[in-house]
Amino acid sequence: MEKIQEFSRIKFRIKDVVYEGIVMPRTLYEDEDHFTVKLKNGYNIGVEKSKIEILEAEPPKILSEQPYEKGFESAGPKILILGTGGTISSKVDYRTGAVKPAFTASQIVDMVPELKNLASISVKTIMNELSENMQPLNWTLMAREVYDAFKDGYEGVVIAHGTDTMHYSASAISFAIENPSGPVVFVGSQRSSDRPSSDAATNLLGAAIFAAKSHSPGVYVAMHASMDDDLIAIHKGVKVRKNHTSRRDAFKSINAKPFAYVDVKNLQIKFSEKKTEVEGPMNIYEKFSERAALLKFYPGISEKLLSSVFNKELFDAITIEGTGLGHVSRKAFPYIKDYINKGGFVGMTSQCIWGSVRLTVYETGRDLLSMGVIPLEDMLSEVALVKSMWVIGNGLDLKVTMPKNLRGEISERREAL
Amino acid sequence: MKVGFEIHIQVNSGRKLFCNCNPKNDDSSQLEFRRRLRVSTSELGEIDPAAAFEIKKGLNIVYVSGDKTSCLVEADEEPPHEPDPYSVEAAIKVSNMLNSFIVDEIHFMRKIVVDGSNTSGFQRTAIIGLNGSYAFRGKNVRIQTICLEEDAARLLEKGEGYVKYELKRLGIPLLEITTEPLEISPEEAKALAESLGRTLKLTGLFARGLGTIRQDVNVSVEGGGIVEVKGVQKLEQIQKVIEFEEKRQNMLLEVAAKLKERGISEESFADLKPIEVSDVFKNHSNIPNVKRFFKDYAFALKAPGLKGLFSYETVPDSRLGLDLADICRLFGFKGIIHSDEISKYDFGQDILRELENKLGISENDGFVLVFGDKEKAVLCLQMVKERLRMALKGPVAETRYATEKGTTRYLRPRPGASRMYPETDIPTIRITQEMKDKYMVEIKSWEKAVEEFSSKHSINKEMAEQILDSEFTDFFENAVENYKNVPPTLLASLIVQVFIPYQNSGKVIEYDEFLKLLDEFSKGNIAKEAVIDVARYMLEKGVNLESALKEMNIEKLSLEELRKIIKEKIDEALQENVEPSKLYGTVMGRVMSLVRGKIEGKIVNEEVKKALENINKA
Repeated sequence: MEKIQEFSRIKFRIKDVVYEGIVMPRTLYEDEDHFTVKLKNGYNIGVEKSKIEILEAEPPKILSEQPYEKGFESAGPKILILGTGGTISSKVDYRTGAVKPAFTASQIVDMVPELKNLASISVKTIMNELSENMQPLNWTLMAREVYDAFKDGYEGVVIAHGTDTMHYSASAISFAIENPSGPVVFVGSQRSSDRPSSDAATNLLGAAIFAAKSHSPGVYVAMHASMDDDLIAIHKGVKVRKNHTSRRDAFKSINAKPFAYVDVKNLQIKFSEKKTEVEGPMNIYEKFSERAALLKFYPGISEKLLSSVFNKELFDAITIEGTGLGHVSRKAFPYIKDYINKGGFVGMTSQCIWGSVRLTVYETGRDLLSMGVIPLEDMLSEVALVKSMWVIGNGLDLKVTMPKNLRGEISERREAL
Repeated sequence: MKVGFEIHIQVNSGRKLFCNCNPKNDDSSQLEFRRRLRVSTSELGEIDPAAAFEIKKGLNIVYVSGDKTSCLVEADEEPPHEPDPYSVEAAIKVSNMLNSFIVDEIHFMRKIVVDGSNTSGFQRTAIIGLNGSYAFRGKNVRIQTICLEEDAARLLEKGEGYVKYELKRLGIPLLEITTEPLEISPEEAKALAESLGRTLKLTGLFARGLGTIRQDVNVSVEGGGIVEVKGVQKLEQIQKVIEFEEKRQNMLLEVAAKLKERGISEESFADLKPIEVSDVFKNHSNIPNVKRFFKDYAFALKAPGLKGLFSYETVPDSRLGLDLADICRLFGFKGIIHSDEISKYDFGQDILRELENKLGISENDGFVLVFGDKEKAVLCLQMVKERLRMALKGPVAETRYATEKGTTRYLRPRPGASRMYPETDIPTIRITQEMKDKYMVEIKSWEKAVEEFSSKHSINKEMAEQILDSEFTDFFENAVENYKNVPPTLLASLIVQVFIPYQNSGKVIEYDEFLKLLDEFSKGNIAKEAVIDVARYMLEKGVNLESALKEMNIEKLSLEELRKIIKEKIDEALQENVEPSKLYGTVMGRVMSLVRGKIEGKIVNEEVKKALENINKA
C-alpha cells in the first residue's frame, strides 16, 4: 500500500461500510501496522492497515504558523519570564500530537489574563529541556540570563522550569548569583497547561506577582500550597524539595516555613518570614563542576560501589545521605578514611529529609568526625551536592565553604513547625 | 421526525475506569478542595459562551471527596491508571452482541467539559464499537457507536459564583450506546429504548439500581438541527418528551416561515448590537417598577420581525421567550423582559416609546431587555442575538434537558467534534482478534428472563416483569436472600405496590428503614397485613419506622389479649341474639376491626373457631 501522508483526509471501507476521517500521526511507541484515524465525530480510533480499503485520500492543506510575538508592554514593574522547558512551558499540539514550547508573551497573557495589568512582561525561551535532562551547563546559562536581566533593569525574573529537578536548579542559581537585585522565582506545573485543570496558570500568576511586587531579592520556588487553586507557596530556593510524584503541592519547604504565600484571588502577598533586602553589589559565579557526587547509604551497600565512588581521581567531593543523625555502616569506614586522606571532601547529610545531622550523639558519628567527615547540619542532600559542584567549579575551599551558611541553606535554629 | 438515543449505563465493575476506587465503599471521612478551570481563548470558540464566561470570570468549584470512594486520580492529583480490564471486556462483549465493527486499537480521548463536573476539565472517552445493529420489531436499528467513558461528578449545589460537586460518581465506567436517528413514532421510540435497555440489563454486565441507566434523546424534525435532550430518567418520560419536541420544533419552523414572510433575513441581524438604555430608566426612576428592577444598567436588543413571536406557542412552555430567559439565567440574570411581555411590568407608555425610538423599532420588530451588570448584559444579549438569528432557520442543534412534566428547556449549544483531544496519559490499547473472538455475550430473551424470575421466586409474571424493569431488582434479590422467612410475594408487593408508584412520583427511597421493617416482620413483631400499610405510611409521611409504628398505633397483640377480645365479642353477640349461622361472621368481623395489623388474620380465624367450638360443646 502506498504511504498516506499524515493529516490526509481519507475515505475508507471496512467490510461494507464507508467511513471518513483524517489520518493522525502515530507516536514512537505505536506500531506501523495501524492507522490512527480521527473520525468526523472527533474520536480517534486505531484500525489495522490490512483490514481497510482506502477509497480516497486527499493530502493536507498546509497550515500557517502563528506569528511569534516578542514583547508585552503595560504599566507596572518590568519582569522577565525565562522559558527553559518542562510541563509548564510546553503545550501539546493537538493537530500533530507533538509537544511544543508555548512561550510567547501573547500565549502567556492568554493563559493568565490577570497578568495584563500587573506588570510589563518580556518573555524569552532560553532552552527547551525536560528537567531530568538539565545539566550543570544549563544552570550556568540560566545564571547568566538572570544576571543580565537584572543588569538590564528588570525588577524580577521568573524561570519556568520542569518540576523534577527544579529544586536543584533553584539552589544552583541561589549560589551562582550573589546579592541578586531582585527576586528570581522558579515556577513549574504538575498538570500540563493543555488541560483546563492545569496548575500552570495559577502557579505562573503567583510567581509573577511575587517577582513584580515582593521587592524581596533572593531565589525562590513558587508552586501550589495545597490541593486548592487559590494559594501559591513561595519557598526559599535552598530549602525546598519535590516530595510527591504528582500532586500540585509536591514542593515543600524543609526545616522551614514557606517564605511567603501569594493569594492569587486577591493578588496579594503574605510574608511568613522577614522580607529580604539587597545586601551588597550583585556578583556572578556561574561555574559548576561535575567532580562531585551524592551517595545514598543503605544496608547492604556493596563494597564495589563504595570503592568506585570514594575515588579521588574521579571526585573531589562526596555528599553522603546517611541514616538518621548522619550515620553509615562500619563497612564504609576504610573507604571514607582513605578518600579523605587522599584529600577528598566528605560531607554528611541525612536521608531523613527533615531535621539536622548530629555526629556527636553516637559512636558511629564520632568515628566519622574523627576521620574528617564534615557534618552539613540541616542542609538538604540535593542542595549540598549542588553547592559542592559550585564550590569546586569556582575554585573555592570545600572544607571552609561547605559548612558555612551562604544563602540560607543552613539554619542556625530549627523551629517547631 | 427522527429520533435517536444515547443510552448511558454503568458497568458493574467493582472499580472505576481509571483507578481502583470502589464507589460502593463506605467513606469514613471527607475532604473539600477548591479549584478553578481555565481555557485559553483559542479553545473558547468551541465552548458554549455562558460556560466560557463563567470560567473567564473565575468560577469557583468546590469538590467533596470521600476517602474510600475516590482518590488522587479523581482529585486530578495523579495520572490515570490502566483502564479497567473488566470494563474494556464488557465494552467488547456488548459491541459483539450488537454486531459492531470493533476497533483494533482503543484511543482514549479528552472531551473538554468546563462546567466543573470533571476535575480535569475533560471527560475521558473512547470508541470501542462502530456501526452495529439491533433487531427491533423486524427492523435492524443501526447502532452508530459504542463508547467506553467515565461518569461525571454529581452536582451538589450551585450558588452565587460557585458550584459544588461530589466525587463518588466521577470515574465510574459507563457504556454509551448511540442509535442512528430513525423515523419512528414516539410510542415506537419508547418501546425501542425499553427493549434495548432490557437487553443490556440482561447481559449481567451492568449495575442495577437508582441512576445506573440514563438516556439522552435526540429529536429532529425535517428541516431542523438535532436537538439533544438530556436527563430523561424514565421511559414514560421519553414518549412525552418526543411528542413535546416534535410540536416545539414544528412551532419554530412556523416562526421561521413567519419571519421570512415579514422579510427578515440574515442581513437584518448583521449590524445588530446590544444598546445601553440606562438613561431611559434613569429618567423615569419615580415609577415603582423601575425602582424595583432597574439598578445601574439596562441594555436592550432589537429583535427584527419578532413582534408577537416570543410568546407564540403551540403547546404550553414551547415559546421562544422561555429559551431566551433560560439563556439569561445562565449568565446569572433572574430573567428577561421581551416586548411581548413588557406591558405586564407597568413601566408606562413613555418608557416604551423611548425604548422603541432608541432601538429603531418598526412595525413588526420586537426587543429584549435586561437589567444588571454591564459586561454580563452585553455578552448575554449577544448570545440572545445569536439565538434569534438562528430562529430564521427554525429549530437548531442544541442541548436541552427534560423536565418532570415531559417538556424540555434550553441548556447549551451543542458542542462540536473539535473539543476532542487525545488523552496523552493513556497508551493505546490493542484489541487482538483473540479478544474479539473470546469476549462474547448472547442476547437473552426478555420473556424468558421474566418467566425464570417469576418461577424462581414464586411470584406472578406481572410482578416479576415490573421488578425486573425497576431499579429495585437488587433490593428484591438481596432481601430474598437475607430474609428467609419473609415471603417473596410480600417483598414483591412491597416493591410493586409501594416502591414503584412512590418512585414514579419522583421521590427517593431510603432502603435502610425498610430493612428494619423486614427485621421487625421477621421477628414476628409486625403482622403480614400491616407491612404494606406501614411502608406506605413511612413514605407518604416521610417518617422512620419507629414513628410510623407509634403513629399508626401498631403494637403486637399477645394471644392472651386476643382471646380476651374474642370472648368479649362472642358474649356481646350472644346477648344480641345473633343467629347461630351468622355468629362466626359477626364475631370475626368485629374482632378483626379491632386487631387488624396487630396479629395475623390466620391466627384470629383459628382462635375464633376454637372459641365458638368450646361454646357449642358447652
